[in-house]
Amino acid sequence: MTCSDVERVLPELLDDAPDGALPGEVEAHLKSCSACSDLVSDLKLIASEARQLAANEEPAPRVWLRIAAELRAEGLIRDIESAAARPVLVPVPTSSGRRWSAWWLAPVAAAILAAGAYVISHKPAPQVATHQAPATPVTAPAAVAASVTLAPVPAPAPQQLAQKSARPEFAKSESARSAGVRRSEIESAPSAEDQQFLSAVSTLAPSMRTTYELQLQAVNADIRETQAYVDRNPGDMDARQHLMDAYQQKALLYQIALDRIQ
Amino acid sequence: MASLQVADLRHTNFGRTNLGRTAVVTLVLATCLASAAFAETKKEYSFAVGPNANISVDTQYGAISVRPGSASQVMVTATLKSEKVEVDLQQMGNRIQIASHLLPGADEATGQVDYEVLIPPDATINAHSSTGPLSAEHLQGDITLEGPDAMVNVRSVENGHVHVQTMRGPITLTDVRNGHVEIASISGDVHLKSVSGPLVQVNSGSGKIFYDGDFGSGGDYKFTTHTGDIEAVAPADVSADFSAHSVLGRVHNDFPLQPKAHSRFSFEAGRSFFGTVGKAASEVVLRSFSGRIRLKQR
Repeated sequence: MTCSDVERVLPELLDDAPDGALPGEVEAHLKSCSACSDLVSDLKLIASEARQLAANEEPAPRVWLRIAAELRAEGLIRDIESAAARPVLVPVPTSSGRRWSAWWLAPVAAAILAAGAYVISHKPAPQVATHQAPATPVTAPAAVAASVTLAPVPAPAPQQLAQKSARPEFAKSESARSAGVRRSEIESAPSAEDQQFLSAVSTLAPSMRTTYELQLQAVNADIRETQAYVDRNPGDMDARQHLMDAYQQKALLYQIALDRIQ
Repeated sequence: MASLQVADLRHTNFGRTNLGRTAVVTLVLATCLASAAFAETKKEYSFAVGPNANISVDTQYGAISVRPGSASQVMVTATLKSEKVEVDLQQMGNRIQIASHLLPGADEATGQVDYEVLIPPDATINAHSSTGPLSAEHLQGDITLEGPDAMVNVRSVENGHVHVQTMRGPITLTDVRNGHVEIASISGDVHLKSVSGPLVQVNSGSGKIFYDGDFGSGGDYKFTTHTGDIEAVAPADVSADFSAHSVLGRVHNDFPLQPKAHSRFSFEAGRSFFGTVGKAASEVVLRSFSGRIRLKQR
């Protein structure tokens, strides 16, 4: 059995055997192939982590439908008539040399979205809307300074955060400094999925490695920066939405790679 | 002695002339061989289609330009930069798929195919090129343009939905009306000039968003960046309900806003503003995590 044979059958096998038991010939190949073995480990880890997410923490069905529709349109998945429309991964034709076998990115992108949804769904008690007394027309925001904000969680103003965190070793961006994010936090090591992603890019599209690495670093920095801010200001609903947006940006990056690295 | 010197001189000149001729011939031959290796080929295809045709153009490297043509025909002109790339075409009823097909050894230079596509104005077009540029103009059907590094330009489009997605390619929309506009980019700048419709949604991570227009009437406009700045310019008689908030950046507003009883954002001086101008026909939401937001009066 070859690596491509394993890649072709693996998604169905993992779906059919959630306990991890694989046919003997696949197991035999995995023992002799570290690349496939690592791939299986990663997929099992992703599947395991995904199962940890409760149903109400999953993205809306339309998110899954959209991902499925895009994958189906790309020919990466097909519907089995007898399997009640459950999509399965299909091998990508390689004769043109245009696409690479990176179907594992699909669950990773989905996991990123799920993680974002998880973060967003774990919000504290809803913030009470801002009430403003009717006033005469105003030109500047200062004129509505008399507005009353009732928030259940008192959060320090960003200006206060900036004063607290204005130390030279902090992150280079003004926003990162304002959020009190340390450089070490901004530049932390890439995750296993990111490393696998970059490894695939290096192998199949080495000229694009730097581009994708920089984009990935920037998106990850945005996520960490926003997460740090949300941790300090759990009642800031808009910051939470930005965190979700940042996760979606990362999912978009994976999707672009999934679409077309050649 | 003198005749010998003249003979030597002639011999030397003769040698130089020969050398020059050889060099010229070699240069010409090399040019011919290089031209053969990178022979640019132009191919034309046409397809008969009915109303609301669906056309897809997909190339790894190269430009895609889409313009209106005959109401019942799709004309494609493909310029192949070498023989290391082919064009695959497929027609399934009203659906046409056109794709570049890289052959072994093709790279960005030799694998490039530039497409000029004339489609019925009401047709749907999906175009993808990693390098671009991508352009569509004077169309009325739905338009989807995608390209990680592609510069995207959409001009004079009415009634159709416009979806654009890039990784770092800049995006410009001009005179786009009466359709859903959805733009997503990770780091590309987005310029919207005279763009209006029931939904105009732009999301860029580190790219900047510039809007110059009147925000139409009755539309939802949502511009979001993470670190990029947002700048919107509108006429004094604009009719919109504005909300703007930058979590860590600054905001600035030139308009005399009528305050609202409720807002989606908490008020923070210098970091948010909200209020209405005119009859608040459209809703405009400007959000950034750390970018600056500016609403300017034209």
